[in-house]
Amino acid sequence: MPTRRDFLKLGSAGVAGFVATPSPAPSPSAAAGPSRYPVVTIAALKDVGIGAVIAFAYPDGQSPAMLLRLAAPAVGGVGPNREIVAYSTLCTHKGCPVAYKPERKMLICPCHWSTFDPAKAGALVIGQASQQLPQIELRVDNGMVQAVGVAGLIYGRHTNVV
Amino acid sequence: MSPGARVDSVPLPPADAQRFDTVCQFCIVGCGYKVFKWPVGHDGGPEAGRNALGVDYTRPLPPLGEWISTAMHSVVTEKDTRRYNVVIVPDKGCVVNEGLASVRGGGLAQTLFSRDRATRARLTQPLILQKRSHVPIAWDAAVDLGARVIKAVMDRWGPDAVGMKFFDHGGGGGGFEANWAVGRFFFSGVGTRTASIHNRPAYNSEVHAAGDAGVAALTNAYADAELADTIVLVGSNAYETQTNYFLVHMVPNLNGNTLERKRQTFAGESVEAARIIIVDPRRTMTVATAEAAATPERVLHLQIEPGADIALLNAIGRVILERRWYDVGFIGDRTEGQTFEAYQRSTLAIDRPLADVVGEAVRIAGIPATQIYKAAEWIAAPKRDESRRRTLFHYEKGLIWGLKNYENVAAIVDLALLTGNIGKPGTGCSRMGGHQEGYVRPAYPGGRPALNVDEAVRRGEVKSFWIGGCNPVLTTLNAAAMETALKERGAVVQSALDRTEGRPVGERVARIVDALKLGGMFVLAQDIYMTATTRYAHLILPAAQWGEVNLTSINGERRLRLYQRFMDPPGEAIPDWEIMARFGRRLRGLYLEDNNPQIANRFLDFTWKTDEDVFIHARYQFKGDGSDPIEGYAGVTYDLLRRLGTNGIQTPTRIVNRVPVPTVRVHEDGRFFTPSGKARFIPAPQPWPGYAAKVAAQRAQFPFWVNNGRTNHIWQTLYHHQHVPFYAEHNPMPHLEMHPADAARLGIASGDLVELSNDVGRVRAMAYVTDAVKRGHTFMLFGQPRGAAGDLVSDHVDPATTIPYYKGAWAAIRRVGPQPEIQRTLSFLPQNVAR
Repeated sequence: MPTRRDFLKLGSAGVAGFVATPSPAPSPSAAAGPSRYPVVTIAALKDVGIGAVIAFAYPDGQSPAMLLRLAAPAVGGVGPNREIVAYSTLCTHKGCPVAYKPERKMLICPCHWSTFDPAKAGALVIGQASQQLPQIELRVDNGMVQAVGVAGLIYGRHTNVV
Repeated sequence: MSPGARVDSVPLPPADAQRFDTVCQFCIVGCGYKVFKWPVGHDGGPEAGRNALGVDYTRPLPPLGEWISTAMHSVVTEKDTRRYNVVIVPDKGCVVNEGLASVRGGGLAQTLFSRDRATRARLTQPLILQKRSHVPIAWDAAVDLGARVIKAVMDRWGPDAVGMKFFDHGGGGGGFEANWAVGRFFFSGVGTRTASIHNRPAYNSEVHAAGDAGVAALTNAYADAELADTIVLVGSNAYETQTNYFLVHMVPNLNGNTLERKRQTFAGESVEAARIIIVDPRRTMTVATAEAAATPERVLHLQIEPGADIALLNAIGRVILERRWYDVGFIGDRTEGQTFEAYQRSTLAIDRPLADVVGEAVRIAGIPATQIYKAAEWIAAPKRDESRRRTLFHYEKGLIWGLKNYENVAAIVDLALLTGNIGKPGTGCSRMGGHQEGYVRPAYPGGRPALNVDEAVRRGEVKSFWIGGCNPVLTTLNAAAMETALKERGAVVQSALDRTEGRPVGERVARIVDALKLGGMFVLAQDIYMTATTRYAHLILPAAQWGEVNLTSINGERRLRLYQRFMDPPGEAIPDWEIMARFGRRLRGLYLEDNNPQIANRFLDFTWKTDEDVFIHARYQFKGDGSDPIEGYAGVTYDLLRRLGTNGIQTPTRIVNRVPVPTVRVHEDGRFFTPSGKARFIPAPQPWPGYAAKVAAQRAQFPFWVNNGRTNHIWQTLYHHQHVPFYAEHNPMPHLEMHPADAARLGIASGDLVELSNDVGRVRAMAYVTDAVKRGHTFMLFGQPRGAAGDLVSDHVDPATTIPYYKGAWAAIRRVGPQPEIQRTLSFLPQNVAR
């Protein structure tokens, strides 16, 4: 099992190539109900401005993910205008790290150019992945944005929660 | 969001799972896949020793690992009612795809028949149209009725009244076995000329001009794309529709990753990363990804106006001639000299000034002269060390379905001959291909140009029409007229069926024949799902599909492989070859009962017991002597193919020391398929023929050009993909790409419902606003169940080949209204962005 130290290291280094605000440490897995997924606090809602891109890891330290606050409501979004979303950043084609291109509002994989729409639940816009990008399920609790689950299998795993 | 999206685990195959080799059922590239199958409840474990892939899944895989996506797994139920997990993953040992899946191949497991998913819609019993619905009928009764009607039609109206439109391809719904059986039945048995191939109104080659030049349709190996100095793609959107040929073999050459191999292969010859010329009216994802791979300076996108390919390619040829960049040695040794003279005179118009010919191409094609000169230079200018440039020419439907099929294909073949780019490493002149190949049939009894079957159906000359593994109501030209003929002529027969329900078969056939005399048409359909076409059939025959039969096919580099059977067909579905065999045996019996041994003996061969029996029969009868330029497979057996796995053997094979030997590259011996053994230039009357009258009139009357074709996600008519949410939800309707300025003028936003109409018909589509198309141009997904682009395509065909100008429709467009839920959930981000 990854230690908390591993998590912090991978959480910032695992997804290079864009500006990431420092991500807070996860709260110890206070699992909500029967879910196998941990609850991980990503940021305070007040610190997530429009256009924010925050790297974190979920559901464990070896799974790079990205939180985005878009300019308009998004499918599966949370926050005041339902425009905050988060995704695994491992391309569901062959596992290369996707990059967010704010000017294109698109996540693009540099290996075989699969592209994903963060406003549409990580739908494959075009490319060779056979799944959409796994969407991290979020909630806002006490002013904190938290990850609580994952919709879709993360690249490289046979099950999301090992 | 698709229901599958929430799945967050896949079962792992245990170490003792059953294993099979197969090849993707979809596009021409034919990527290799591995199939694992095991009983539900007996999963393997994440430790390398506890799963059949031998991969350590205890920790996340690094990039490019052997990951099983959720799309690569499904659960199937066999005839014994036992449930099995099936996992289908790309084979890293296959030289075609090296472990990569395309978006289509990644979802192969989703296409399998399953009681738990929408693929349960498969046809599982023979059906007969009775009153208002299709009801089950026993196989024997269906075959008896169908064979008796066909015999009655042959006897009264002659064999040409027996019409057919059938698959002729490899991959899913095709293969050597199925094709051979169909050909034996219709050509050797019935002897009809009223035959047509799945995607067109006649029985003809799509590349007659290449054949007349003596050049094979598939000349090169995929490895040649790794070695070429310049790659030319005309009318081919390779990233989207020949994906792994592009990603695995072209991209490494574009980004310089094959330089070392080029140095080794071409010792002493100057080498650099490849350049690519893409002739396409759209700025496609192929253009965008080529620029991302190669840097934009090495990519030349010629954004051509409709119908201008001939003018463009011939102008490039003229520049090459003028610059003396043509291959004197090749032309002298390998081509018939008088054809080269005729080509220079008429096609390249050497009596006219160069500037005239190029100027005309600029005007027609809408491409600047500088780009025409640059294309000529990239194709043929000597390299730094004065050695000849190695150029690989590829063309597909943008050219084949173009203005004038014969001259379109002649223009690119001539260019390849002019520059000596056939039969050497790093060169070639091949169609890219749509579906896979596997054309193994006795000779078509008709002539050339072939009879137009669509017209014969409309005129009532076809009394029984058998449609196999294709869907002309969605895909043919003037498609609504085909549908009307099926509906109206079919209704006459249906009333005969209704009136004779429960009566002896002889009486039913007599009443059906009466209906045929009144203009009726008896329709048989053979398919795996109910489709827009099968719903008009009087008899529906359920076929087995890919994975449920053993089948053999070749890909775009003629790689012959065995696609292994790994599961049962659903219900009473049987292989296509077996359907033909049952009808063949019944017709033989009926003619023997009729004391007509002469015709009975034309149906002699239908006693095959297994798929390999058909494969071997076809080999001995037709393709086994090694002389066939494409599919000849002398000495090949299923056993050999099993041993060769997903890499197979490249055809044509010939026997050397009793062993089949592959052909990596056709024409490498310098010989062409003409009596002289030399290639022929195909001269055209002038550098550009102009639009046919019917097309010109439509073009003058309607403002938007409606180009149409395939896209990345969707295979053909969505016959599988409409049953798999991941694909169906991506294209809930045919999308229509429109330029932002045109869309703004008409008040159209992405996702809006729009209507297209012209003198041929009308159809609805979903707007998709993008700068991929020029102003005045649009592009529509073809053959979508909820909107057929063919409803706008006129019945004009190239008189030399009976090939339609499918890409040549013009229409008016109006906004119908918004589609709020589609607009909320579907992505309309640009599909041609790679950086």
